[in-house]
Amino acid sequence: MNNLVVIGGGPAGYVAAITAARQGKKVTLIEQKDLGGTCLNEGCMPTKSLLASAETYEKIKKAEQFGITLPLEQVKINWDGVQHHKTNIVKKLVQGIGYLMKKNSIKVMKGEASFLTNHRLAVRNENQVEEVEAEQFIIAAGSEPASLPFSPFDGKWIIHSGQAMSLPAIPSSLLIVGGGVIGCEFASIYSQMGTKVTIVEAAEQLLPGEDPDIAFTLREELEKKGVAIYTSSSLTEMQPEDKTALFKHKEELHELQSDYALISIGRKPRVLGLGLEKVGIHFSKQGIDVNEHMQTNIPNIYACGDVVGGIQLAHVAFHEGTVAALHACGKDKNVNYRAVPRCIYTHPEIASVGMTEKQARDAYGDIRVGEFSFTANGKAMIANESVGKVKVIVEPQFNEIIGLSIVGSHATELIGQGTIMLHGELTTDVMEDFIAAHPTLSEAIHEALLHSAGQAVHS
Amino acid sequence: MAAEVVMPKLGMAMKEGTVSTWNKKVGDSVSKGDMIASINSEKIEMEIEAPQDGVILDILVQEDVGVPPGTIICYVGKPNEQLTEQNSSANELQAPKNEVAAAVSLEEPPANAAPSKKRKETVLISPIARKIAESENLNVETIKGTGPKGRITKADVEKVLAERASEASPPSVERDNLAINKETLPVAGMRKVIAGRMHNSLLNSAQLTINMKADVTDLLSLQREIKDVIQQRHKVKISLTDFIARAVVLSLQEHKQMNSAYIDNEIHLYNHVHLGMAVALENGLVVPVIQHAEKMSLVELAAELKTRAANARQGQLSADRMQGSTFTITNLGAYGVEYFTPVLNPPETGILGVGATEDVPMYQGDELQKRNLLPLSLTFDHRVLDGAPAANFLGTIKQYLEQPILLLL
Ligand SMILES: Cc1cc2nc3c(=O)[nH]c(=O)nc-3n(C[C@H](O)[C@H](O)[C@H](O)COP(=O)(O)OP(=O)(O)OC[C@H]3O[C@@H](n4cnc5c(N)ncnc54)[C@H](O)[C@@H]3O)c2cc1C
Repeated sequence: MNNLVVIGGGPAGYVAAITAARQGKKVTLIEQKDLGGTCLNEGCMPTKSLLASAETYEKIKKAEQFGITLPLEQVKINWDGVQHHKTNIVKKLVQGIGYLMKKNSIKVMKGEASFLTNHRLAVRNENQVEEVEAEQFIIAAGSEPASLPFSPFDGKWIIHSGQAMSLPAIPSSLLIVGGGVIGCEFASIYSQMGTKVTIVEAAEQLLPGEDPDIAFTLREELEKKGVAIYTSSSLTEMQPEDKTALFKHKEELHELQSDYALISIGRKPRVLGLGLEKVGIHFSKQGIDVNEHMQTNIPNIYACGDVVGGIQLAHVAFHEGTVAALHACGKDKNVNYRAVPRCIYTHPEIASVGMTEKQARDAYGDIRVGEFSFTANGKAMIANESVGKVKVIVEPQFNEIIGLSIVGSHATELIGQGTIMLHGELTTDVMEDFIAAHPTLSEAIHEALLHSAGQAVHS
Repeated sequence: MAAEVVMPKLGMAMKEGTVSTWNKKVGDSVSKGDMIASINSEKIEMEIEAPQDGVILDILVQEDVGVPPGTIICYVGKPNEQLTEQNSSANELQAPKNEVAAAVSLEEPPANAAPSKKRKETVLISPIARKIAESENLNVETIKGTGPKGRITKADVEKVLAERASEASPPSVERDNLAINKETLPVAGMRKVIAGRMHNSLLNSAQLTINMKADVTDLLSLQREIKDVIQQRHKVKISLTDFIARAVVLSLQEHKQMNSAYIDNEIHLYNHVHLGMAVALENGLVVPVIQHAEKMSLVELAAELKTRAANARQGQLSADRMQGSTFTITNLGAYGVEYFTPVLNPPETGILGVGATEDVPMYQGDELQKRNLLPLSLTFDHRVLDGAPAANFLGTIKQYLEQPILLLL
């Protein structure tokens, strides 16, 4: 009998498997498709690969600004090449996970798992069913894109993010329904490749979870790239026959024809088909219920990653997978959600950690906000990337740094500094004498911190 | 020869001063006038300058340890210069004083004095967790840390506080609220000095406050009339406070008893007026002093008041600008306060409190008019003078304010 079986080979599952194996457990990992899950195959990695192609193209087009003359009319995107770069990366990474499984002596089974009892699974692979027994289980089945209740994905016109990254050609027009993280990333990718993009978002702003001023900077930049943005707008009808969508904006009905309609209205935890009911595991549409150790109500069964709902990000999945596995191995580990960076790979990038300004005001009342604009940062100016700013939120009594938001070039790399500050529970006075290298984009973070204490030098 | 830098005496009542920050360390070179340390004492924070070019040879007083004025805090001399016998005997002479200081700091260790610093090295704790623990007087050594390697996190401290709150009080609603709403702030730095001084002021004098209203309607219209001209000619924005200050200066010269100090059972009467003007800062208040205000015209006085208040707010007030006042004015008008009982700024005999002006209907002869009244509160030391002369003094101020033309002369 196995010590531990992990269901799902995405970030939560493979990290849990490796962690448990390193603790000496005999581990089997069951995956119905490819190792690496959404993240490697249809999420984080392929989108970032497309984005890198789009940005390289954009940068080349702007070479003139740096004093480089090109035959611009000859610069073109070779879509097959872009796809090749992407699949190549994905393949290498998936192979890498396979190698890690071997190295840690983890048995990988292909098939779809579902519970029969709280110690037994049925694993279906094509028409064969195999039963697998274990002492403990970790469910890491991930999530899948949510579809519109009135118009399911058809893969031809109405598509989800997985399909949107492998289109046969660069579309000439694209409707994106949902201006959240995934929608905005695709808007950035395709608008830079020349597609006419339209976003329809139900909330008042793009990226509803982030501060309005941060989201607004992105909106302005997307609009400069020709993206049409309709916020406070609701989709009313999809007509696949003539690829036309109807939506309401400010009481006015709009009609829009597009090559594709990408539906990115959120992802739902994959809770069905796992036989959770059979063993009495508590769950809802929002995900499987777990405690702070990622343990379900059935003590030998854990769940982690997108399948438990909450924050659906790969690095959260890594962390939860680790905690679940360690706890299953008798280590007293809790999940720490205190400092989870949120990254949005648009152009400009957006990244934040901790509270937004609004959340902080609700929680603390009077807070201190420090800001520094990249327009005053030398390194950003040199790179012609001076759009954006850093914003730091400080709690007034002890000067605790409780939030950092960055919109601008390399924000997703810079946010690591904020993550450390929040994770380390640092206060602004600890950071005052911090020396930021010059010239770097990091200086903007230091200046924002100083500004929050009324001591900014360069603004 | 090496120069001694001593803890200055910044006021008669000063017993102790503290180096809050050393900007230099032993071996650093300095030029004459460089800021080498910040010290605080009384209501004052000030910078200590290097007395000559050279290097810091020795530092004798650590940060945050209180020492009496006159204590040598460091030596500035030539690189490699040996401190002479004379120097070291000075050290010995200082020794007893330093002991006193040590004894003082043992009795009441400053929040971040050496012992707690030592603990900082051995206890793994996040900065915010430490701050919260310190503000709640929690001994961090007793807290169980759940972070990496047992590091104490904010959540751990909050857990202890929640437990303490629930243990401390039976589950009655009011008690619970008390526990939750309780917040302790350390009384340190400027707050400590103000607390001590104000309490001593009340303990060591016989304070009595009397009130009067001055009709400043004409004064305000005069101010409106002349302010633009003054602004153009002298670049000074003249305010009601400036007129009040001038009225006080003139009245003090007519009532010498109020321009005095009670020191060691003697009453010292002054001919000059060194006018103290209380200025509220974010974390306390300071009283910049306008020396020889009796020699200044209204405009000069106004300009001086503006400069000093600005200096005070920027923390750039040197010690000599904060001592020797003979009378003080304090103004709570901006906060909407009418009358109040100002507390004497010892050893002065009087302090004038200024309130917020108020529009009232008043008969001028048979005619009802809208007039502007300014509430004045005078606290004086009853040991020095009695109610009647104090009332006369306040009456004179009132007269000046009601016949503002006299203030321009
Ligand atoms: C377009 C897009 C872009 C994204 N970009 C980012 C990003 O930049 N950064 C970031 O942090 N996150 C990003 N994410 C989110 C990230 O991909 C997910 O949070 C992460 O993959 C969740 O990991 P997981 O292991 O919980 O689930 P998944 O990665 O979804 O893995 C679950 C795996 O379980 C398998 N499985 C499911 N049910 C069964 C079963 N019954 N039997 C066997 N196997 C099963 C699935 O096939 C899948 O491989 C993105 C997502 C998308 C869609």
